[in-house]
Amino acid sequence: MSRGVTRRQVLAAAAGAAGSVATAALLGEHVWPLLAREDLIPGSAPDMTLVPHAWTTTPTEVSFVAVGDNGSGGRQAMAVAAEMARTYERAPYGVVALLGDICYYGSFEDRFDRVFNRPLRPLIDAGVDFELAIGNHDDDLRHSDESMEEIEAELRLLGTPGLYYQATHGPVDLFCLDSSVPGIFGDVAGDQWDWLDDALARSTNQWRIVTLHHPPYSSGRHGSTPGAQEVLEPILRRHAVDLVLAGHDHHYERTRPIHGITYVISGGGCKTTRVGRSDFTVVAESTLNFLHVHVRGDRLRGTAIRPDGHVIDRFQLRAREGR
Amino acid sequence: MRQDVVDRIAPPVYAAVDFGVILVPSLAVKLAADRGGMGDATGVDLLLASTALGVVHAVLAWSRLRAEERVAVRRADMWIAAIDALVVLALGATMLLIAVFYRFADEHASIADRGYPVVALWLGLQLVAVLLAEITGRLVFRWLEPPGTAAPG
Repeated sequence: MSRGVTRRQVLAAAAGAAGSVATAALLGEHVWPLLAREDLIPGSAPDMTLVPHAWTTTPTEVSFVAVGDNGSGGRQAMAVAAEMARTYERAPYGVVALLGDICYYGSFEDRFDRVFNRPLRPLIDAGVDFELAIGNHDDDLRHSDESMEEIEAELRLLGTPGLYYQATHGPVDLFCLDSSVPGIFGDVAGDQWDWLDDALARSTNQWRIVTLHHPPYSSGRHGSTPGAQEVLEPILRRHAVDLVLAGHDHHYERTRPIHGITYVISGGGCKTTRVGRSDFTVVAESTLNFLHVHVRGDRLRGTAIRPDGHVIDRFQLRAREGR
Repeated sequence: MRQDVVDRIAPPVYAAVDFGVILVPSLAVKLAADRGGMGDATGVDLLLASTALGVVHAVLAWSRLRAEERVAVRRADMWIAAIDALVVLALGATMLLIAVFYRFADEHASIADRGYPVVALWLGLQLVAVLLAEITGRLVFRWLEPPGTAAPG
């Protein structure tokens, strides 16, 4: 080599330069944000004993909690679960509505203990019921046999009656949907919308709440689910649904009433992603969270809570005219 | 810029970057915890562990550069080796964490209830990255230098 530069120096310098550029791009754009977004650090399970069946459920009163995307089994999932248990101590509830994505980083069958039993043990021991809106297996996975096995494992292990179903708790009729069905917000509607239309038409309870994984309205990373406003919303409007609870985007967001329906995203069960604001947004925050709902008579009160107990949002709905 | 000024400034700058590369993963976790409303203390354990390791390795890296500076036949060999070591450190200090925590989620979750092993695992993985970087730096330097050059330090 000329001017004293050796072949080895060129090789090592080229490796260093190429490595620096590639590493900076890889870490800066992908890996560090991934580390900040995911919940990979193992966490200690909440060590609490709750008074069993401490809640009040009557034909005019019920309390429940909704949480989505809580399936990591990591530190952040444990922190959310611990605050859910502490909230039970202050304001007992008998139901947890799971808004989908209850298992990350592996199959639900293998990780059942890690992502469900360990974090939620205090609530399980207290006798709380779990209602599931299926959410796993987004994108290509939901078309596969593997995804159906996963869904079946979830239904079996949680004792969920079906892919989509109705559950009644006090004055609330809860409609848990399966929004993971391929094409459900497009041409391949299937039977689910017919079922929902009929079930809502038959509902005589004072409150109608729909839970599903994919949000019809969102200002978050995934955004509003394409087709949901066109396909689902007319059914919800027709039957004067009060509240729609969703996950999928890892933040908290509440919309203004849209045609009388309030939409809440509580997808911060273990991860956070950024959220903006839209013209429908009333409150939006990128934070871990769950939603505590208390219904008494013609009033529904929602409180969104962070794992440190800080309240993100309080809102109140009034029952529809004539109910 | 004069050579003696470069010689004075470059090693501490390198040590600072070395420290930052070790620290950033724990900062990412801590910032996520803060954004998530986990409370002030959450994530501090990993931050402290990485800070301690980062300070120790920054001092070590600085010493290595000083030692190599004394024996290097060609100053460029030292810096080429140092950059290669930094690349290995940057990749290792983060990618090892991601790989182990993601791929073996269930295995290490079983130790989580005991608290400190998570910090130990975090520290251990970053220590492996530091060792790989040190080996890379020293080997590349020896490989670049003419035969017969005294070993640094």
